[in-house]
Amino acid sequence: MTASPSAFIKGAGSLIAGLGVTIKAFFQPVVTSQYPRQLLNISPRFRSHTKLVADRDNPEKNGCIACGICVRNCPSGSIKKVEGEKREGEKRKTATSYLLDFTTCSQCGICVETCPSAALDFSADFNLAGFKREDFHFDLVKEFEKRKKTS
Amino acid sequence: MEQIGNMIGWETVKMVVGLVGVLVFVVLNALILTWAERKVAGHMQRRIGPKEVGPYGLIQPIADALKLLGKEILTPREVDKPLYYLAPMIIFVPVLVSFVVIPFDASLQVMDINVGILVILAFSSLSVFSILMAGWGSNNKYALIGAIRSIAQNIAYEIPLLLALLPIIMMTNSFSLKSIVEAQHGLWFVVYQPFAFLIYFIAGVAETNRTPFDLPEAESELVAGYHTEYSGMRFALFFLAEYTNIFIVSAIAVTFFLGGYQGPFLPGIIWFLLKSYLLVFVIMWLRWTYPRVRFDQLLNISWKALIPLSFINLLITGGLLKL
Amino acid sequence: MVERIKAELGATLKETPVGEADYRERGYHLFAEVASADLLNVARFFDERGFYLAALICVDYKEYLELVYIFSNHASLCKVKITLKIDPAKPVAPTISTVFDCAYWHEREIREFFGVSFDGHPNMTYLFLHEGIDFYPLRKEKIPVSDEDKKALGAFRPGEGEDTFFVNLGPQHPSTHGVLRVVLKMDGEYIQSADPVLGYLHRMHEKMAENRSYLQFLPNTGRMDYLGPMAFNLGYVTAVERLCGIPVPDRANYVRVILTELNRLSSHLMWLGAYLADLGALTPFLFVFDDREEINDILEPVTGSRLTYCYFRFGGLYNDVDDAFVAGTRAFIERLRSRFSLYEKLVGGNVIFTNRTRGIGVITKERARKQAVSGPVLRGAGIPMDIRKSEPCAAYGEMDFDVPVGTRGDALDMYQVRIREMENALNIIEQALARLPEGPIMTEKAPRKLKPPKGDLYHTVETPRGELGIYIVSDESDKPYRMKWRVPSFSNLMIFPELAKGNLLADAVAILGSLDLVIPEIDR
Repeated sequence: MTASPSAFIKGAGSLIAGLGVTIKAFFQPVVTSQYPRQLLNISPRFRSHTKLVADRDNPEKNGCIACGICVRNCPSGSIKKVEGEKREGEKRKTATSYLLDFTTCSQCGICVETCPSAALDFSADFNLAGFKREDFHFDLVKEFEKRKKTS
Repeated sequence: MEQIGNMIGWETVKMVVGLVGVLVFVVLNALILTWAERKVAGHMQRRIGPKEVGPYGLIQPIADALKLLGKEILTPREVDKPLYYLAPMIIFVPVLVSFVVIPFDASLQVMDINVGILVILAFSSLSVFSILMAGWGSNNKYALIGAIRSIAQNIAYEIPLLLALLPIIMMTNSFSLKSIVEAQHGLWFVVYQPFAFLIYFIAGVAETNRTPFDLPEAESELVAGYHTEYSGMRFALFFLAEYTNIFIVSAIAVTFFLGGYQGPFLPGIIWFLLKSYLLVFVIMWLRWTYPRVRFDQLLNISWKALIPLSFINLLITGGLLKL
Repeated sequence: MVERIKAELGATLKETPVGEADYRERGYHLFAEVASADLLNVARFFDERGFYLAALICVDYKEYLELVYIFSNHASLCKVKITLKIDPAKPVAPTISTVFDCAYWHEREIREFFGVSFDGHPNMTYLFLHEGIDFYPLRKEKIPVSDEDKKALGAFRPGEGEDTFFVNLGPQHPSTHGVLRVVLKMDGEYIQSADPVLGYLHRMHEKMAENRSYLQFLPNTGRMDYLGPMAFNLGYVTAVERLCGIPVPDRANYVRVILTELNRLSSHLMWLGAYLADLGALTPFLFVFDDREEINDILEPVTGSRLTYCYFRFGGLYNDVDDAFVAGTRAFIERLRSRFSLYEKLVGGNVIFTNRTRGIGVITKERARKQAVSGPVLRGAGIPMDIRKSEPCAAYGEMDFDVPVGTRGDALDMYQVRIREMENALNIIEQALARLPEGPIMTEKAPRKLKPPKGDLYHTVETPRGELGIYIVSDESDKPYRMKWRVPSFSNLMIFPELAKGNLLADAVAILGSLDLVIPEIDR
């Protein structure tokens, strides 16, 4: 410790300054939010798993036309199968089953962007939890029907 | 009752009651300190710390103790069995002996030995044995490195510890802790000996292996120190010993420099505990502010800074006393 | 500089011509194809003129293998591409690791991915694929690995010595570098040698790039460096735009700059917290996360993600930013400016911290050039090179900021360079917010099916850790033929063994922290 007295005093001063920072922080309010007792607000653009949006003209059915563009474009192959049928009086097909494996989805947004009928959007489901992988294999058509019933 | 007392001797009864009280206090103290450490750390980091287990997380230490008790007691195969088993038990001996002589109040001292401070210093040097036994007995090169570092640190900082207390002893002409407290009737010794207080405090923090001097048990380096191979209850004993040591260091600082149990209005023991826990808070405050000092810098601080300064302090005190 | 090098190089390589390339399209100024015998001379030629080896790439063209050496200069912008064709049946090339130390690991990587063996290389063993390989991964056809090759690759055994023992730093770290394992040969407290072992997080992004279209590869770029993903996204998107000639509207460029600088702040803050946690102070880590959460709260309403963003698109952005973003960013800038004094008091001025970092891990300019370090490590060593100034992309050319340079090259200098870079980032964000133009965020000329013209491109971008180089070879299909990512942490880690030699273990931890490594980008 062959330090000069001025360096010694400067060093001691820096130590006191550090102590001042922590003691000030000790008396300041906490910056953490007490989840789950305090709910967080999720921004509308938050990217969780995708969901099907209602068709513009007929809000009773989902807007997916089962073209398969999202299936081909997904980089991770998370969209397993999209099946649809052409119903009476409809110009285009409607999806009857849309299998999404959310465990491999990277939330890139390519499916949302490239969908020609703008039928996909991100949901805000941020606290998904389950015990098995299969809990995250979603069928988006079923989810759409569930949401229709509850709304 | 009188007959039992005359048969055994009041002193013995008082000693036994005192020891039991000390044991209870040690356990309570460890519980309080683990809780307080986490709360202090939390609030200094702008977060809450434990809050789920009981109101304000007060039952958290009990939950931790139950967890540690419930752990499987693993003994690695190649350890040196006598050393490995004895080390966590021996580390408690100096702690308990030190408590015997600390005056909690004017009448609350288990035994007022007239060489009180020498007893404390002598027995605290014995903790070095326990560390060496733990490090060598673990049969683990990381534990050995940690133990050797810890011993070097312990030995290096014992000297300024003693040298910082010597001026007080010179001033009061006594080793007994009770008389040192009584001698501070007029003015606390910290006013007379501020540098000795600082040196003692720094050396005390280093003795207990607390940050910034906690390289032997550095969490973010690869060696976890001399208690690497201990788990469950044995680890808890090392832990307990460390927290109790923190209290003892603070208690001695309070006794020597801050007036012990003296203070207006409130009973002595309340003042004593208040002052001790204030110093314990300062020790925790230091831990959560500073990074670690590197090992060679740590030893340099002791040998090249603290010891010369404490010698100078001693000489000046001696000179002033003579005049 | 370019003319001079062209003339001198032409004089050195008498038979082969030195071609000039359009820098805007190719990313390099000159190119030349050399023969195997001339390679060492060419390497020495560039070494004498103060160049550094920016990248060493191998491309499998089926009839031949091509080794691409990109030499670049710190002082003035001049990039030269030297290529070497190798026979695929018997792939052998001379090593240049005697001249440029940074080639040491690049050649090891090419050995294991392509099977090209380098004469004279001291250690041709596995770098990433320690489990053993049966086929060379990046070759276009399945070429099996012969048995002697397998034996040669798996031959790494650190040598025992007198009075030394081995200690593993990692791969499970309490401090958050990632999964890095360093095998340290210790003599008591001092380190005799340090051997990093990589590959714990190897996912073979480069092969994935060959099997996905350009748009489909975009999410992968954010996963390579998850602490600074905006810069990787920006590099990739601007590289493909440069290759295809897609223009980008001004508003998109400014927003790209703002988001990349916010990400740079986030990355440097994370480095600060992790470095102090390495050194034992656990409180700054929490303070740093407070600031990072503010940044995440700004970026989440815009991009939708908090850690790995997939927001840039070829020709612009995914969607627009709104006024709430502008207001939130301005408020954040004010707040972070006031926090710098807090960090200075708690960390920067602290005498314990300065004693732990002053004089530790000194990097000289010569070693920095030979090992091709980049980013704050290079600037801390004393070389004032910043790719945002020398090769600006997006709207960096219109921003006014200085380049902080260190004087001693030790860990304390790295710390101070990064703090000043954070202050610069705040200034850049302020300038960009003030000048944010109105307008579209996506160009109309973005092609539906992206099929870049035939050719190659070496594009560089300044990430928070240094120079990211992306080398794309396109064969007119919608998938890249070869994409090589020259990541900054790879080269920065190469300088660690020589810095750690002879030091205490505590110092080695301090040095490793000051290099700011992110292992997933090293392992790709």
